[in-house]
Amino acid sequence: MTCERIEELLSAYLEGELAGPDKAAVAAHLAACPGCAELAGLMRDALGAMAGFPEGAPSPGLMAALYAIPERKAARWRRVRAIREFLARPALQPVYAAFTVLLIAVTFVLYHPEAQGLRKAIDVQFHKGVGTVEKLYASAGGLKGEIRAVSADVIKSFKNLDLLKGGEEKKE
Amino acid sequence: MDLNEVIRECLAGSQSAWETLVNTFAKRIFNVAYQFSGSRQEAEDKTQEVFLKLYGALPRYDAGKNFQAWLLTLAKNHLIDEYRRTKWEKTQRDEFDERVLAQTAGADPEQDLVEKETKVLVWEGLDRLSADMRMVIILRDLQGKSYEEVAEILDLPLGTVKSRVNRARLQLALVLKDARGGTS
Repeated sequence: MTCERIEELLSAYLEGELAGPDKAAVAAHLAACPGCAELAGLMRDALGAMAGFPEGAPSPGLMAALYAIPERKAARWRRVRAIREFLARPALQPVYAAFTVLLIAVTFVLYHPEAQGLRKAIDVQFHKGVGTVEKLYASAGGLKGEIRAVSADVIKSFKNLDLLKGGEEKKE
Repeated sequence: MDLNEVIRECLAGSQSAWETLVNTFAKRIFNVAYQFSGSRQEAEDKTQEVFLKLYGALPRYDAGKNFQAWLLTLAKNHLIDEYRRTKWEKTQRDEFDERVLAQTAGADPEQDLVEKETKVLVWEGLDRLSADMRMVIILRDLQGKSYEEVAEILDLPLGTVKSRVNRARLQLALVLKDARGGTS
């Protein structure tokens, strides 16, 4: 037998599953081949080590979490049902209707055969709107300057009133 | 109580039946997860996930089948899928449980030392096996399942299981050989 064949039969040999000529052939090979004999010894050691491996106990915390699984699942199901019931309220139907109309409009704008022209028109209108707002803003800026000038004049005139000067004359 | 009866009661919503199921199988699932992941924390998380899956899958259980094998298949699939998804093999295995090392104290201190060292090496060597190899060796050599049971859990032919077990053991033997510097 070759060393490769011995490696294939090693587990069966160590577990006593080989019988007859196979068992005798493996035993004879192991007696004559130090490499395979070493491997068999190491495998025996590994099997012996695994036989004494730990069997840990789950912690009380883990057990409590496992016991609580049905309650957790039920709580989750209750939350899902509450959300579903909220979304199915008749009061929300106008919102869904409005949303649907909006969606149709958006779809129309995006996918209509003449959508490009439509988008162009919207774009033009939008830029017109922006231009108008800019003009208004600029006018508002000019108006603000005028108001400031007028208010300065009013204050100046108010200070020059004779009525206020008369008070000072009385003191003298 | 008959296991099928317990499962029927679980499906009917009985909390005490569920606790019976947990008490019966939690330790085994936890140990498979611990031996597979090498981390107690990881094992606790995975045990919870397996039982969550079990709770959801219970209505699909065929009463004619071996429940323990069915549950171990569920656990094996979850552990291997998660291992491949998250690559937790990069994480270090926990230190080998010292309480177990203490158990081996015998008459020959030198022999005890060798045995302790071998256990630590094999424990760490499990990380060097592929997920499939590790699972097969855990079921056969750590959980003590027969080849037939392992074949049922893994849904593989008996010959394939025997061959995988042998190859996994050879790999662990080579881990020992490397660690001992090529001498036994």
